[in-house]
Amino acid sequence: MIDETASASLSAYPAGVDRSPVGAFDGLAVSYRLVLGQMRSTGRIVALLLLSMTATIAGFAVGSSESATVDQAAAVIANLGFAVVLPVVCLVFAGGAIGDLRDDKTLVYLWLRPMNRWPIVVGAALASLTMATPIVLPAIVAAAALTGVGNGLTIATLVAGIVGLVAYTSIFTMLGLWLKRHIVWGLAYILIWEGFIALGGRGVAQFAIRTYTRSILDDRTGADLAEADFSTATAIIVPLVVGLAALTLASWRLSHQDVD
Amino acid sequence: MSPPLLTGMIAVNSVSKFYGSVVAVSEVSFAIDQGVTALLGPNGAGKSTLFRMLCGLTPASRGTLRVLGEDPRRDRDVRGSIGLVPQQDALFDHLTATEFVAVAARTQGVDAVDIDRVVRWALEQVDLHDVGFKPVGQFSKGMRQRVKVAAALVNDPQILVLDEPLTGLDPVQRRRMIALFHRLGDEGRCVLVSSHVLDEVARLGSNVLVVAQGRLIARGDYRDLRELMDDRPHRIRLGSSDPRRLATALVGHGLVSSLTLHDSHVVVETLDVDALGRQLAPIAVDLGVRLDEVHSLDDDLESVFRYLVEGR
Repeated sequence: MIDETASASLSAYPAGVDRSPVGAFDGLAVSYRLVLGQMRSTGRIVALLLLSMTATIAGFAVGSSESATVDQAAAVIANLGFAVVLPVVCLVFAGGAIGDLRDDKTLVYLWLRPMNRWPIVVGAALASLTMATPIVLPAIVAAAALTGVGNGLTIATLVAGIVGLVAYTSIFTMLGLWLKRHIVWGLAYILIWEGFIALGGRGVAQFAIRTYTRSILDDRTGADLAEADFSTATAIIVPLVVGLAALTLASWRLSHQDVD
Repeated sequence: MSPPLLTGMIAVNSVSKFYGSVVAVSEVSFAIDQGVTALLGPNGAGKSTLFRMLCGLTPASRGTLRVLGEDPRRDRDVRGSIGLVPQQDALFDHLTATEFVAVAARTQGVDAVDIDRVVRWALEQVDLHDVGFKPVGQFSKGMRQRVKVAAALVNDPQILVLDEPLTGLDPVQRRRMIALFHRLGDEGRCVLVSSHVLDEVARLGSNVLVVAQGRLIARGDYRDLRELMDDRPHRIRLGSSDPRRLATALVGHGLVSSLTLHDSHVVVETLDVDALGRQLAPIAVDLGVRLDEVHSLDDDLESVFRYLVEGR
């Protein structure tokens, strides 16, 4: 049955090849590199850069006003930078980090391997963080600086921006893994839950990441922002714990879900 | 009393898979060991669902599957012994062929010092070593299929699950790939290959599983299946310059049991397809009739299933 001509150049598997369990770092590095490569899309990056620049322009506008106060400056950063720009950019990248692999059916090449699930998830989240950070952080930090109300706001924006980036990328990585229409659900979370419902009082507000980024601004600058009552320490720790929980849930979900 | 559990490198016992009220796979049982086994079935028969369950990508709704004695859904390590070529044409298009196969090697635990060696070997087996530097996004469908096969082979798995791996290949590569599957089987691996093309299955090997509508409807040696098919009339379409004269001559020689005449061809039924094959050309030459087409209407998979499922 074997075709001798066709099999002429076939050879046996190389001798002496060793295999060992796939380490967490190897899994994480592979996932990171694959997801990063899949995410690079010029159109998407340009669109999100333009979105981020709206915060910078708004900061510049506030700074151009002779009567700008720290309250006004912090409100612009909180209401535009942390309520819209930062979560939307994170949603686009992190939501698609594993979600896109699942949708285009390349996830099978990672899922079928004999390695832990969490490095795949963490690698994907780190890749989206790598993409989102240079788009968001310079824009909102520049916005804070351009308001001209002082270094306190700039540093607070930097700290809150990092906290928000880590928390949102983790949450949206989980969301993208869990839900097929992650962009729709993510926007609903950002605009309806965080932008509307979470403003309904402290009890609800503590379940919104933006409350914590606002709290950092409020606490570090003395600005008077609504629903921003947490100390800086709490406002840093809680979103990071939430992010960790989201990645843990995402890893569990990846272990148990069906893969095409 | 329930039947004894089947055992083998792959053992499937009374497995069903439901998606809501849709039954994708129903009460399928089989066991296979080393060598090439062809899984034959039309599109939508449940082949891919069965393969997904064998790789642990989705759990069975009912029944048990064992690969090398382990449950592939629960045992992560056994998945490292499975090389899968998925049916879908999805690859990491930004990677070169070498990078794509290297990722497979690395995530299968091949030691870093050996990766270059095994990647080169895997690409050589599928005849892509000369284009390993090109991004797979630039590859033709056939080349993409071969990259997937290389990635499945790179860690020397004991089990190969190949879902329509010959799709998109040219005849030369198809022959080469079939030879590769046979060699892998002869070396002791369990190679399970799905196809919906009967002719491919004839070349893939003698051991055949036939699925239709989620059920295993036949299994065994391909030649037995073929002989079973040979016990019934074969339908053959003969295109010619004068189908009426040709048909009359064939009836006169007792080679056909019935026929349907059309403008440019005649569809005949014969119980002795070999005799018809031997005598058709000489008869046409004697009549001065040009033969344009000789096409078996029974070699398509649908006719096999029609026969096996419906007995006609």
